[in-house]
Amino acid sequence: MTSSDQRLVWAFLAPTLLLLGVFLYYPMIGTVIESFYDTSFISPEPRFVGWSVYEKVLSSRAFPEVVWNSIMWTLGVVLLQNLLGFFTAMLLNQGLPAQGMTRALVLLPFVLPGVVTAILWRFMYDPQLGLINSILIRLGVLQENAAWLASSDTAMAAVIFVAVWKGFPFSMLIYLAALQNVDKSQLEAATLDGAGPVRRLIDVTLPAIKDVILVNIVLTLILTFNYFDIVWVMTRGGPQNATHIFPTKIFETGFGQFRFGEAATYGVFSILVLAVLVAIYIIVQRSAAARRPVG
Amino acid sequence: MKQSAATRWMLIGFQILLALFVLLPFFWMLSVSLKPATEPFAIPARLWPQAPTLENYVTAFRPEFRTYFMNSMIVSGASVLITVSLGLLAAYSFTRGRLLVITALMGLVVLAQMFPHSAIIIPFYKLMRSADLLNTYASLILAYVSVTLPVAVWMLRGFLQKLPVSLEEAAAIDGAAPLRIFWEIVVPLARPGIIATAVYVLIVTWQEFLFALSFTSTKEMRTLPVGLNDFIGQYGIRYGELMASSVMVSVPVIAVFFFLQRYFVAGLTAGAVKG
Repeated sequence: MTSSDQRLVWAFLAPTLLLLGVFLYYPMIGTVIESFYDTSFISPEPRFVGWSVYEKVLSSRAFPEVVWNSIMWTLGVVLLQNLLGFFTAMLLNQGLPAQGMTRALVLLPFVLPGVVTAILWRFMYDPQLGLINSILIRLGVLQENAAWLASSDTAMAAVIFVAVWKGFPFSMLIYLAALQNVDKSQLEAATLDGAGPVRRLIDVTLPAIKDVILVNIVLTLILTFNYFDIVWVMTRGGPQNATHIFPTKIFETGFGQFRFGEAATYGVFSILVLAVLVAIYIIVQRSAAARRPVG
Repeated sequence: MKQSAATRWMLIGFQILLALFVLLPFFWMLSVSLKPATEPFAIPARLWPQAPTLENYVTAFRPEFRTYFMNSMIVSGASVLITVSLGLLAAYSFTRGRLLVITALMGLVVLAQMFPHSAIIIPFYKLMRSADLLNTYASLILAYVSVTLPVAVWMLRGFLQKLPVSLEEAAAIDGAAPLRIFWEIVVPLARPGIIATAVYVLIVTWQEFLFALSFTSTKEMRTLPVGLNDFIGQYGIRYGELMASSVMVSVPVIAVFFFLQRYFVAGLTAGAVKG
């Protein structure tokens, strides 16, 4: 496009900008406004109440639980998903037989719809009929059937495990692409210097893909914090709030109880967390871009 | 890298474990969906049914399931078409426009892909309610186009940036109108990017749950993920039918993904690795 075609540039941009403005940016602001209003099923007419919804939410017993659960959930999923993704990528980069087919198969959980994943794993965890208990009892790990999702001690770990199962192929894909870009001659030079596989990993590979790892970790933090479907379908946030995270709490409060003001207040807190994560993401990516050699 | 024979066998062992970890749940889903209702599926019974049958599929393919399937096809299909078209127009402007404002706007598009859906859904719901669009295809299509557009623009821009501008410049010197250049030169060259983006939008919208659950209220408008979630209550522990439905929901996306995965993987990793 030449500079005389700037009108065309704007015409092409207009529909996208309009949609994002009306349906993403306006609702972001709308949530903040909503959090200062009180609505309920009984009095559906919004009423301005200042900070009182915030006081109510902050003093509720559920709030610290949701914060704590969200931290456990986000850190647990991100850490395990990236570790497993990274080691899987290393493994699939060794030139073993059937690597291409294995890579394709490993991607299966990533494509499996979230609700299907949740239903399948609810069944896997079923105390009487599930595969997990059968296997563990057979192996002698368990003596009797465990109710993984119905006990507040194990529910969070069980849900994290499923999210990792579904999410690690994505991390694997990113890390595999990064590993394939690592300079082969440097690896060979390190081998000639007598470096074993662990030394090569620490001295050559990790420094070469450090930026990809950082960016990917922050990206998965953002995506995991926003997760809804698997947790909701598997536990509805229960038992006794043990797996309630921000998205499930917002949905339950807003659409289960029609308390829009309270739901929006939870929304504002999650926007604040996201703002911090996004700021970190931008800083990490800027400094990564600055370090990258030109060309 | 050359490994010793022992290391090599150990690595192959890990690879087999990895495959088991990934595939065991799929295998079980398939196995239970093929089990006749009379055969108990609790282990220590058998992993694979003694007399596999399609009866669960026949029962699960009931009229309401067909309605959900239809709804999902309409909503996802329309979203793919609209998102890819609008995304391509916008991405073209973002790569060829020269104003500083345009770079700043691209920043806003990238930022929007990180917005938490649960934090925007209440005002979104109220917008749809005041427009009288709740419980319609339009409300879901609007939601899906809006939430997939940022990533679509970002993916397509990555592809368009790699196209040589010289072709377009040559055509412009020959007197071709800008719209014709876009349609006859840019669109055909951007085909791999268009396919990758379409696969992305399909995967996301086919499984979208939060908006579908909040915006639809009757069986006639439910999409597959929400319908499947309703089945949990209705079917109780009739896991055979539940697994058969799950297989039928998953097969279309898995099939599309496997045919087109090289485009999708290229599109995703190019952006993510290079920034």
